[in-house]
Amino acid sequence: MTVVAGYVPNPLGEAVLDAAIEQARFRGTNVVVVNTTRADRLVDPRYAQGEPLELMKRRLDESGVQYAVRHFTSTDTAAEDLLQVAQEVTADLVVIGVRHRTPVGKLLLGSTAQSVLLQAQCPVLAVKHG
Amino acid sequence: MSAQGQVGRAVPVGELVFAAGIAGLGVFALARAGSIVEPVTAGVLGPRVLPYIVGTALVILGLATLIRVLRGHFGEAEKGEDIDPHAHTHWPTVVILVALLALHAALIVPLGWPVAAAVLFVGAAWTFGAKPRHRAVLIGVPLALVLQAAFAGGLGLSLPPGPLLEGVPIFSG
Amino acid sequence: MDNFLTLLDGFATAAQPIYLLYALVGVFVGTAVGVLPGIGPAMTVALLMPLTYSIEPTAALIVFAGIYYGGMYGGSTTSILLNTPGEAASVITTLEGNAMARAGRGTAALATAAIGSFVAGTLATMALTFLAPTAAELAVKLGPVDYVALMVLAFLTVGALLGSSITRGLSSLALGLFLGLVGVDAISGQQRYTLGVPALTDGIDVVLVAVAVFAVGEALYVGSLLRRGPIQVIPVTKGWRTWMTRSDWRRSVFPWLRGTAIGFPIGTIPAGGADVATFLSYAGERRLAKGEARRQFGHGAIEGVAGPEAANNAAAAGVLVPLLTLGIPTSATAAVMLAAFQRYNIAPGPLLFENESALVWALIASLYIGNLMLLVLNLPLVGIWVKILQIPRHYMYAGILTFAAMGAFAVNFRQDDVLILLAIGLLGFFMRRYGYPVAPLVIGLILGPIFEAQLRRALSISQGDWATLVQSPFAVTVYSVLVVIFALSLVLRRRARKLEKVLVHEQKEQMVPTTVGEDR
Repeated sequence: MTVVAGYVPNPLGEAVLDAAIEQARFRGTNVVVVNTTRADRLVDPRYAQGEPLELMKRRLDESGVQYAVRHFTSTDTAAEDLLQVAQEVTADLVVIGVRHRTPVGKLLLGSTAQSVLLQAQCPVLAVKHG
Repeated sequence: MSAQGQVGRAVPVGELVFAAGIAGLGVFALARAGSIVEPVTAGVLGPRVLPYIVGTALVILGLATLIRVLRGHFGEAEKGEDIDPHAHTHWPTVVILVALLALHAALIVPLGWPVAAAVLFVGAAWTFGAKPRHRAVLIGVPLALVLQAAFAGGLGLSLPPGPLLEGVPIFSG
Repeated sequence: MDNFLTLLDGFATAAQPIYLLYALVGVFVGTAVGVLPGIGPAMTVALLMPLTYSIEPTAALIVFAGIYYGGMYGGSTTSILLNTPGEAASVITTLEGNAMARAGRGTAALATAAIGSFVAGTLATMALTFLAPTAAELAVKLGPVDYVALMVLAFLTVGALLGSSITRGLSSLALGLFLGLVGVDAISGQQRYTLGVPALTDGIDVVLVAVAVFAVGEALYVGSLLRRGPIQVIPVTKGWRTWMTRSDWRRSVFPWLRGTAIGFPIGTIPAGGADVATFLSYAGERRLAKGEARRQFGHGAIEGVAGPEAANNAAAAGVLVPLLTLGIPTSATAAVMLAAFQRYNIAPGPLLFENESALVWALIASLYIGNLMLLVLNLPLVGIWVKILQIPRHYMYAGILTFAAMGAFAVNFRQDDVLILLAIGLLGFFMRRYGYPVAPLVIGLILGPIFEAQLRRALSISQGDWATLVQSPFAVTVYSVLVVIFALSLVLRRRARKLEKVLVHEQKEQMVPTTVGEDR
């Protein structure tokens, strides 16, 4: 019984983290934070490293909930990684961030959120920023 | 100079073969140089002289490199930002990319340049690890069409548009 | 005075909106490829060669020169922010530049690099403006014997001094010369090494080879050894205030000037290109630094960014002197630019300033304009340049291969050329893998036929007496210089490598190692 959070180091990711902590408290479970990179480019701003990573951990420490961080390099897409972790820990909730995308943007960039929503085996909480 | 020998590395077969290949090319150059026709009118420096010089140089340099490699002075593989110097060479990638380029060459005339280019781009992107797969197609096909329109339609290069796009004005030079 | 007027004419041409646009495109693309790993100015100019079919020479050369200059600017950005040099000539910048960025002074490092590049680029272009016509006048008096000597100089220095191993560098050169022999001999009309293959009768096109070794060879090589794991970017503090303090300015000005003074002359001689100049500048600044600045070396001394960045841009202008006045390229990019000139049937050399005066001066004027554009583009747009590093590698290399295939096919609109591209690309792959520099191959291929023609001319004047080759005072001087350059640069290279080792050791940081040799 776990809450799995798909984290990226930006305000949307922070909102996801907050929601996941809240849900974990509410359900009395722990949180597994997932942040991965495909390492297919020189710079990946969606991969937390250094200071943002420390900040995220501190926040979880302060929240008091039990947590684990899955932070790794993978050859799969972010959605696949998240779903795989959710299955592994038999999550009862997956928390993701969603934002507005134009149809063309969605076509080109794909949608991590959509894949997770459609393929997750458990309820999904979609968080918006602001 | 200072190609550094690294302790504990296996015998670099590939390097030896490559250096031997250079020397071999030199032998070939020398052997064939004799059969280059020297016209009587060739003047003082006939068409054989430079081939002899270059052939000799290739033989000497190939052998010199060979000897240095045998003595443990291995070549320093070129470094770069996208390269992991500790990785093992992934030969399947090289073979697939080579095959894709050959396929591209074969497709240009029967199917047209845009199709051949899209095949090359999508195949290469997949080989380099693009994911999700459909995205490479969504980028590759428009890219091939844009290049065809820009370079054939716009700049007048005679890239064959192929049976599918034949007669479409913006795609023909 | 006469030159000044022609330069003004050049400005009048280069300032036309259409040429300004071409210059802008050139410097923009140049900066982008300078920033992007895996793509260098030589590869880019080779890939864009199809442009020469449809746009006029002045425009194409302005674009190519912009790419060349832009590449030198762009390299510094990744060196400073990511600790990964985009170009060989920016390796040294990582030492102090990245240390500055980690200390929160990334903006100052970027600013001193950009302004230093501008100062050096402009001063060196001025030097080019005044030196080139004089050099061309002298060059007109050179006979075939002297050209033979100059080309021997270029061959040996480029072959032996690029890369880490003399035998491998010279092997690469010899391979290039061999490829240059393939085809019908221009004078005697005899076929050489064509093996009866019709595609080889016209010889192997320079552009085909350049695209093959730079683009296809690189893509195959990267594909076989793909890096895993992203590199962290150091965020840049925004705002003008953090740019450069008064003390930064004071500490940068002299390194800029000294860097220019070191870079330009080194660029003009074929002794190893811009990277050597940056090493020399860095070593000099380190020695000259006193007190606080001396202690900062290794931990982010601004002098160590200002000097080398000025030096590499000055060297880039210096390389244009032998290219334009003698037709002798001393770097990979210059070799590919020479190929571009040849496409238009323009032979760079002493007569260029007479026959193509308008073109040359428009090109030189565009260098001044391009430098200014680069200054304006680089400082405020750093964010954009860092963003393009997020382009996934698979699309970038797939795109490089597609462009390469198009460039190859466009040479003669023959599929066979794509197969030749593939074969030579594989050669380039193995050369990279076994430590052979590829630049000497391209230079050998392009200079080989010119060398043979000059040698023929020299020998027919002397009626077959080979001793003629050492009987001109100029040639004897060149051969003596060759000996000196060899001795000197062997010493310098050794010192540069030692310095590099010491520094890497001192830093105890994981540093991305140098790309040995030349800009790609």
